[in-house]
Amino acid sequence: MTRTYNTIKYLFLLAWSIFVVFPFLWALSTSFKDANAVTSGARYLPWVEFEPSLQGWQSLFASGSRGINIITPFFNSATVTLLASVISLVLGTLAAYGLSRYKFKLGFIKNADITFFFISQRIMPPIVLAIPFFLMLKEIRALDTIAGLVIVYIALLLPIAVWVMIDFFASIPKELDEMAMIDGCTPIGAFFRVVLPNSLAGLVVAGMFCLIFGWNDFFFAFTLTFTETQLLPVAIVSLNSSVTPWWSLSAFALISVTPLALVAIVVERFMSRGSLAGAFR
Amino acid sequence: MLKPKHFFLLPALLTLVAIILFPLIFTVRVSFSSWDVYQAGLDYIGGRNYTRVFEDTRFWESLLRLSSLSFITVTLQYVIGFALALAVWKQMKGGRIFRVLFLVPMMTTPVVMSVIWRTMLHESLGPANDILSAFGIGPVPWLSSAAGAFVSVVIVEVWQWTPFMFLLLFAGLVSLPREPYLAAAIDGAGPVRTFWQVTFPLMAPISIGALIIRLIEASKIMDTVYILTSGGPGTATETPSYYIYIRGLRDFQVGYSAALSLTYLVLMIITLTIIAKLLMRFLVGKDA
Amino acid sequence: MLTLQNLTTPHPKLPLSGLDVTFEPGKIYTILGRTGAGKTELLRTLIGLDPIAEGAVHLDGKNLDRTPIRARQMAMVYQQFINYPHLDVLANVAFPLRRKKVNKIDALARAREALELVGLAEFETRKPSELSGGQQQRVALARAIVKHARILLMDEPLANLDYKLREQLREEFPRLLEKNSDGIILYTTTEPGEAMQLGDELIVMHEGRIVAKGDPGELFENPPSIEVAQVISDPPISICAGEVKNGHLYFNDGSAVDETSLSLGADGPVRIGIRPDALTIGGDIPAQVTLAEFSGSDTIVHLRLPFGEAVMLVDGIREYSPGVKFGVSLETSALLLFSQAGGNITERTG
Repeated sequence: MTRTYNTIKYLFLLAWSIFVVFPFLWALSTSFKDANAVTSGARYLPWVEFEPSLQGWQSLFASGSRGINIITPFFNSATVTLLASVISLVLGTLAAYGLSRYKFKLGFIKNADITFFFISQRIMPPIVLAIPFFLMLKEIRALDTIAGLVIVYIALLLPIAVWVMIDFFASIPKELDEMAMIDGCTPIGAFFRVVLPNSLAGLVVAGMFCLIFGWNDFFFAFTLTFTETQLLPVAIVSLNSSVTPWWSLSAFALISVTPLALVAIVVERFMSRGSLAGAFR
Repeated sequence: MLKPKHFFLLPALLTLVAIILFPLIFTVRVSFSSWDVYQAGLDYIGGRNYTRVFEDTRFWESLLRLSSLSFITVTLQYVIGFALALAVWKQMKGGRIFRVLFLVPMMTTPVVMSVIWRTMLHESLGPANDILSAFGIGPVPWLSSAAGAFVSVVIVEVWQWTPFMFLLLFAGLVSLPREPYLAAAIDGAGPVRTFWQVTFPLMAPISIGALIIRLIEASKIMDTVYILTSGGPGTATETPSYYIYIRGLRDFQVGYSAALSLTYLVLMIITLTIIAKLLMRFLVGKDA
Repeated sequence: MLTLQNLTTPHPKLPLSGLDVTFEPGKIYTILGRTGAGKTELLRTLIGLDPIAEGAVHLDGKNLDRTPIRARQMAMVYQQFINYPHLDVLANVAFPLRRKKVNKIDALARAREALELVGLAEFETRKPSELSGGQQQRVALARAIVKHARILLMDEPLANLDYKLREQLREEFPRLLEKNSDGIILYTTTEPGEAMQLGDELIVMHEGRIVAKGDPGELFENPPSIEVAQVISDPPISICAGEVKNGHLYFNDGSAVDETSLSLGADGPVRIGIRPDALTIGGDIPAQVTLAEFSGSDTIVHLRLPFGEAVMLVDGIREYSPGVKFGVSLETSALLLFSQAGGNITERTG
């Protein structure tokens, strides 16, 4: 009984693992192909099934018209994602702390309503905002700029930061900040001297989610930029629409997803320690 | 008077209000105008755009398609994600490697992976049909037939977002109390009975949370569809987001797409609220 | 001098209502009351953590309503062991001094002194989480006394410790608190023994009100009301219905009580308080055990008597199963008499 159960379990895990890994392996294999190897049907193993070529990788770093500019989009993506994540994290952490420790009231609007306003932004389909964003950025001449994208990404990431941090602060006893105030801190001092230094776990989790959702956005980057400020996903997709050089495409894709795929190692640690559970109730 | 509590809340609140609320109000206003590619401007044409939405079968079909797509993908993600979480929950050899691996897809950019999936689902050059042919299954028209395209979107969505389910459910499992399991073991309950009588009920709140989060995200689906099928063939995989995108940013019918957006948003909020309430009643047995 | 004038709070569940009391420097006030009596709420209101609805708190004649928490010259020890998890023990204790702009060298020296006092000198580089519960509470105490606050508030500081540590720390408190001897110390507890032992003055709280204030021994000997009587003794004083008829005292089952040591008032219903040590095994009152529990080296026996329920204290650990029957006798010279309204009307002859 246990034996059959275990066998089924491992077969299932193995099957799913193959399913998960396969696209990456396929991309890796394809990135070393040339036109011949691609057009002669599905080939998997270099040397055995096809002669490997570095053409795909070289094209990413070659200069001039033959090359694909990967540095600028990579740099743009990193700048926009990091800036928007940091700003969202700072604003979101402050707001989450305020909502978890103080009572707010403006007419019929109370804490729960404000919290809902923040978190409910996740329901908003990007398309609903895309057109007004487009017109708004055009108005302030921020279309196709890093600054414009950062503004838009803050709207995307701030709700995530607030959401994770509200639950995190709920797990820190309020007596801790009270004690800090009794010991001579101002309310703001209590937050910075005592609460914040003990919030590292929450900040890391919130920060990771901001990075993931920022780095992986395509839609806003696609609709609000043209040629000046190209982000990575847009650059890759634009490759896709021309005569598809699968080898470059695959190499490019791998470079684009690797930094965040490594984040999985950190996420796993938090998940297994049980420090994520509170964040999702 | 500005108190410390305002120092905490206001920067974020005002930022979000400024970024979100103005565009939203603007959208409402635009939806009552005839703003399009020929004539930009805020005239007032009453509810004409909304009447048009009402009669736009392509929009309603896309909504229907979205419902079945979300239902199928989220259900698959939940079942597989739960099974994976259970499988690597208890201490086991190589557990950590499996867990990291299972998280990776959700960290990757959906459009970028969709580009890769497109090459894999290529009818003559991709590995999908190549592998199937080894089992004697003829070439599947993945992206060029209506059914194939739908299934392709499901496969890619399941690949991409099952990890998110896995993450939430595994985090939930880790935080479960031990006592009910001791009690079940003393009662001599087997693994199947333990699951249905202990694990599943204890996980109900987390399951609801995870399902709702995923339904919200799934209802916005756009990137994968754009890359894989561009809504095609024909309109076979067109979702509301994609359709509104075509009307708004391709055809530049700003007024009409604003009406479509708002209709879509309101319908989504209503539907998701109802689903949340139903899930709550079904899984926890009480009202939210 | 700390004065409360008609102090009333808007707390939704346990509001304080109309507290009028004065605390003088150099004294330890123990505040005794059950859970939910408003003890914690009182301390939180004094220090400014909870809002005031009506009335005021004055320190040396100055109304504190505008004084922020950090400027109230108060220190507090919580029931939970609250320390700063990210700082080591020494930095924890030096924290309040550093906030008062004491220079680093002086602050650390004074923190070391305080740690020496609470017996944690060798743990100064540890993090609070690496200490036992008792040690964590000692750190919290050191942090509270290091700043020489005018007022030291201690909210059931021993409640979350196990029995042995509780006894040990309680023994040490008079010595530890000596440093603050020129200040006012308010110490809340649910344990009458603790309140008696530590308090120069005892305050009894019940449902958000102060129901008694005075010398601990005196309040114990002569509790002014049933409310006080019920919390001032552990195990509690049992209250049974009775009646004065023709100048004699009866329980409500009609049995007469030897009232020779009491001078009785007018005829009418009364309530009779029986101290747990007033009952002894052996006698002609039939009793049935409903529950027996151990408390330290004593046994507390809950009895059903012909005229009501009562609690008896027996020396040593004894086993009594529920249902066991025996006779008990009642030491009537220790009885308390209360009016129907709950006021103490005991008057002793001689």
